Amino acid sequence: MRREVPLFITFISGVLLVIALFIPHKPFGNLEQRFNDWYIIVSGFTMILGIDSLLLHHWNRFKRKREGWIYSIALILAFFITLIWGFYSGIKVGSPFKPNSSFLKYFYTFVFVPLQATMFSLLAFFIASAAYRAFRARTFDATLLLTAAAFVMLGRVPEGNRASVYLFGIALLIAAVILLLEAKERVSTFEKLIHYLGAIVAIVLIYILYRVLPSYLPQIADWIMNIPQLAAKRGIFIGIALGGIAMSLRIILGIERTYLK
Amino acid sequence: MANVIWTWIAAGLTLAIFSFLYKDNPFYKLAEHIYVGSSAAFWFIYLWYFDVKPKLVDAWVQNTGFEKYILIVPAILAVLMLTRFIPTISWLSRWAIAFTVGMGAGLGITGALQGFLVPQLQATLLPIWVHVSDKFTVNLGYSLNNFILVIGTIATIFYFYFSKEHRGGLGYASKVGITFIMIAFGASFGYTVMARISLLIGRLFFLLHDWLHLV
Amino acid sequence: MNFWERLGRIDRRIIYLVVFLGVIIPILLKVTFKVEPMREVKQAYEEVEKLPPGSAVMISIDYDASSMPELQPMLVAILEHCFKKDLKVIMLGHWPLGLPLGQIALDKVAKKYGKVYGKDYVFLGFRPGVAAVMINLGKEIRQVFNSDYKGTPIDSLPVMQNIHNYNDIGILIGLEAGSTGDMWVQFAQARYNAKIILGATAVVAPDLYPYLQANQIVGLIGGLRGAADYESLVHVLGPAYLGMPAQTTIHVLVVILIILGNLGYFATRRRK
Repeated sequence: MRREVPLFITFISGVLLVIALFIPHKPFGNLEQRFNDWYIIVSGFTMILGIDSLLLHHWNRFKRKREGWIYSIALILAFFITLIWGFYSGIKVGSPFKPNSSFLKYFYTFVFVPLQATMFSLLAFFIASAAYRAFRARTFDATLLLTAAAFVMLGRVPEGNRASVYLFGIALLIAAVILLLEAKERVSTFEKLIHYLGAIVAIVLIYILYRVLPSYLPQIADWIMNIPQLAAKRGIFIGIALGGIAMSLRIILGIERTYLK
Repeated sequence: MANVIWTWIAAGLTLAIFSFLYKDNPFYKLAEHIYVGSSAAFWFIYLWYFDVKPKLVDAWVQNTGFEKYILIVPAILAVLMLTRFIPTISWLSRWAIAFTVGMGAGLGITGALQGFLVPQLQATLLPIWVHVSDKFTVNLGYSLNNFILVIGTIATIFYFYFSKEHRGGLGYASKVGITFIMIAFGASFGYTVMARISLLIGRLFFLLHDWLHLV
Repeated sequence: MNFWERLGRIDRRIIYLVVFLGVIIPILLKVTFKVEPMREVKQAYEEVEKLPPGSAVMISIDYDASSMPELQPMLVAILEHCFKKDLKVIMLGHWPLGLPLGQIALDKVAKKYGKVYGKDYVFLGFRPGVAAVMINLGKEIRQVFNSDYKGTPIDSLPVMQNIHNYNDIGILIGLEAGSTGDMWVQFAQARYNAKIILGATAVVAPDLYPYLQANQIVGLIGGLRGAADYESLVHVLGPAYLGMPAQTTIHVLVVILIILGNLGYFATRRRK
């Protein structure tokens, strides 16, 4: 009972959906929609499990007066005030999400939206700080990632092409100086030569970019998005799709049973 | 007047969250906990009004006959989900999980095959020798781009092939693959920067425009 | 501590302050930059432009307030285009919390062009089910929406006459902050061959390029920049266009920070 029934349910629901795609007539025709409705109902109830564990955690923090318990009270209060307000609005005008409900007009617009949007906008600051601290051109792959990011960032904003000439120029100049300094410390002639060559390439690149970037940077960004970026994304998504299909088959056939643990 | 007060509340909450940038402080902690608590309640209300109520309660009231009584099945599954609260019979919740997993698997196969895999593979079958209209001259730019697109897609797929050690031919292919992946990640990073800054522009515009009326 | 080490230990709050000022100053000074529309946005614009007057455009609100700064200007610009061209607008959405945003924009732009509700545009609202809704819209819209947002039967609205499924709709435009756009492609395009344009936040947009190349979508409007492009194509300069200088400033700043960070890294590494 504990294993066989769930395995049977999984098998039947999975197989019926595949059949429904190939036989879109009765009795399979509206099966997809029916199962989808059921799925929505069941997953709606899952939410209760999550809320229970959240409230329980904060209730315990309050009861044992652990550090920050005062904030736990705020959380619990915020939960119940929102809940009561929502259902009150719902009873009054039919649904809390109607344009004339006070829940939508005040709570949603002036509390929920600012909290959520500001939380997400904090990431702008963290990304800037991470750009400074973490993005190091340590390896070839990392350098490639940084370069692609810089081309896209500057190529996708107006006037970015003009700024890019100076930014890339300075970056390449620095690279050339570093290569020259490194070359002095190398012992083997071959390594010295490679470093000198690198520095010369960097300087030549400055000139080329100076000629090319002002008018062509937007096109370069466009090319990155439409050719190499697209190729990799497609490869990744095809991989995910194939993996997903294989996993789905394993689940339907009962080979994959980790979800029963 | 009500709107003015509410705008001040919204501005206050916005600033409380921004205050975290200076350092963690009671104002931020308070705003954060209010956010978590009210979000949980908010999603609860949302799921009730947009999912459970129309699909289960309203459908039960409106339908008759088979369409009505078949709703007992999802209702039972939903209740089984809640048996997690009672340890002695919590194993019953697996029945409900089994249904959601089976359904996800079924849709996973059909959606991925028809909607993604087939059209995307088709679109990758590109001519890597593109002729200009006269059939003799080759359009180098197009040919090269198509070639890069095909090679990049295949190499990326090889990179994610873990059933064999990445040596020899497969090793080279996966190296080419990682090069493409790095460019894609760089591009995605650039776009993510763009998105986050747009959000910040939106928030600061709110403070300057709606709250302080400076612009 | 030498200069490079000090540079490496710069307080992150100084960086935050610079970012903050980089956004605020261009907005306060009301700087503007001219934008040259991107190819995929122009493509989207031209697909809408090609539709004969009286065709129906279906717009789906698949975002909510957390991505409003990017997608709301996009929606307004698209609505301006549709009403200017005398296209019928049928609006619905899969993110119920974003629906009020859609309705606000729809009413505002319709009023500007003197359009009449029920005759020139309709707001259908939301029905749960996402994939199931998309599949059924391909069979008969009335199976999903027998009434509009206010409960008026859609058969009593002239705008819905002769409109039954995707075949009667010129273009479907989805505004996306998540994965609903992929579902539009997988269900409306792959099963019913609907013509789709997607507008998306910049986080989502790069993942949609494979659809564009495969012709599964016929246009892509990405991020605030895409919105600014559309605004400039329809000659209505709104918040996206005005936000571009701040956007450019911070992008340049992030690149400068990457360069400085690397400079410090290489300089200290050499010393060791």
